[in-house]
Amino acid sequence: MGAEPQGGQCLRCPIGCALELAHQGDTLQEVSREHCDRETKYVRPAVSEPGRGLTTTVPITGGRWPRLPVKVTAPVPRSRVMEAARIIHGLRVTAPVRLGDVLLEGLLGDPALRVVATRSMARADETTA
Amino acid sequence: MGRMRGDYDVVVVGGGPGGMAAALGARESGAERVLIVDREPEPGGFLVQCIHAGFGLHHFGEELTGPEYAERFLEQVLDQDIDLLPDSYVAGLAVDTDRHKQVRVLSGTHGAQAVTARSVVLATGCRDRTRAGIRIPGERPAGVYTAGLAQKLINQWGYLPGRRVVILGSGDVGLMMARRLMLEGSEVLGVFELLPYSNGLGRNIVECLEDFGIPLHLSTTVTHVHGHERVERVTVAPVDEHMQPIPGRGWDIPCDTLVVSIGLIPETELYQRLAIGIDPNTSGPIVSSTLETSMPGVFACGNSLHVHDLVDYVTAESLDAGRYAGEWARGIRRPGDNVRLVPGDNVRYCLPHTLSPGREHTVYLRVKAPRGPCRIVVGGRLEQALPFVVPAEMIMLRLRPELLEGLQGDTLRIDVLDAPHDSRETPHGR
Repeated sequence: MGAEPQGGQCLRCPIGCALELAHQGDTLQEVSREHCDRETKYVRPAVSEPGRGLTTTVPITGGRWPRLPVKVTAPVPRSRVMEAARIIHGLRVTAPVRLGDVLLEGLLGDPALRVVATRSMARADETTA
Repeated sequence: MGRMRGDYDVVVVGGGPGGMAAALGARESGAERVLIVDREPEPGGFLVQCIHAGFGLHHFGEELTGPEYAERFLEQVLDQDIDLLPDSYVAGLAVDTDRHKQVRVLSGTHGAQAVTARSVVLATGCRDRTRAGIRIPGERPAGVYTAGLAQKLINQWGYLPGRRVVILGSGDVGLMMARRLMLEGSEVLGVFELLPYSNGLGRNIVECLEDFGIPLHLSTTVTHVHGHERVERVTVAPVDEHMQPIPGRGWDIPCDTLVVSIGLIPETELYQRLAIGIDPNTSGPIVSSTLETSMPGVFACGNSLHVHDLVDYVTAESLDAGRYAGEWARGIRRPGDNVRLVPGDNVRYCLPHTLSPGREHTVYLRVKAPRGPCRIVVGGRLEQALPFVVPAEMIMLRLRPELLEGLQGDTLRIDVLDAPHDSRETPHGR
């Protein structure tokens, strides 16, 4: 079952804590935590529906660089990551952009999934960042 | 940005996370005029091309992408009225009779200039080891990239480095480049790792390789690059326990691109030009407990001091270096160190190189080999248990002031030893 947190390791953040899970069938009873309570938040949904953070870039015109980094504001269902990336890559943006600007609402029809800029980018002909 | 005066308290070389934190630390400790010199057109260092999330968990308590982390620091730098000079190099520095430093700057906008600094922080970061660094035999066609260059091409410049890609090295950078290439439409044919284990995070092995069905070949390396104009194929082969390719066991993989992600090395050109002492274990400078190099009033931090695995640690260390540089600029001289800190069993390196009794110290160390339950022993004075250690994870230790009591001209040794058998727990899967 691919939804099981791998090898008893929390994938919620890069620390990668070891987890001890108590199961009864498919029901998760207890998670022992090492660093924080993030793994509890991670493990509970991960047992049923694994989500993945998604960051990528979109083409931007008039900025310092030709690509603008973006992120999706909530985890994307693992099976739809490639589909989501293709939709995001179809976006077109013009500078200036501010960090946090929303570029797309309701990715994959889910209102929780917004695509936002992860940096500000001034117009290339302006001197300040 | 772009402003430059003639006289500074502290000049910081490098505008990445280390340099920005050092400049902020210097301001915090009372330095008024602080300049950051950066060779890139915009500050942020490697963070601006690391578009994935995972930065800031320690420093900000939330998970940010690289560009977000950089922008938060840039805002503070601008708020603190720190001068920032992009597109510029520091070509060298000379010490005058007042022990002030004349910093020679080559700037895209200002030309060749000299500015005065009371103290200097070197935060020049690190760079990728290249194919030449491990001497992969074969032809020398186009299509062989370091992971960092491939990352810059894709994430900033919008170029796809290739269509059919082989990746050598399974550290986090290599794993994340595998996912980036897949998302952008390339096919990653496999990730090859010389060691019998991956140095990457468990999360990245799952989310960057397994999710995309990319095979990870451990104890296997690239033994030959083929192709005249462009890479046409590479030969890979399993290695024996001495990490030597096993003859007759290799196979060819048709591909157009080889991405090498085989480690990072501190950028020490400037240190070497200044004849600053270098530690062969870190490839970075030798530093005192105030992160001062062998050149008085010149401090070092971040990935040019030693390669860190978390930017949050770069920030913490660089804030410290900046504070010490700021103190120095204001004429404060702390008593010199009189305890040497040296690596012992299973310790590849430890920093700083010297300590001073009566102060709290943060010690950074890295092990040579992965081990299960073990204990860190500091000169018979401190013992700390750890469930496991791996070379990819830097260990940070706080040494309380009383720990060093009574030491004078002594050597303090750090060992990482196996835990006694009775206290063994189950090793964690990693």
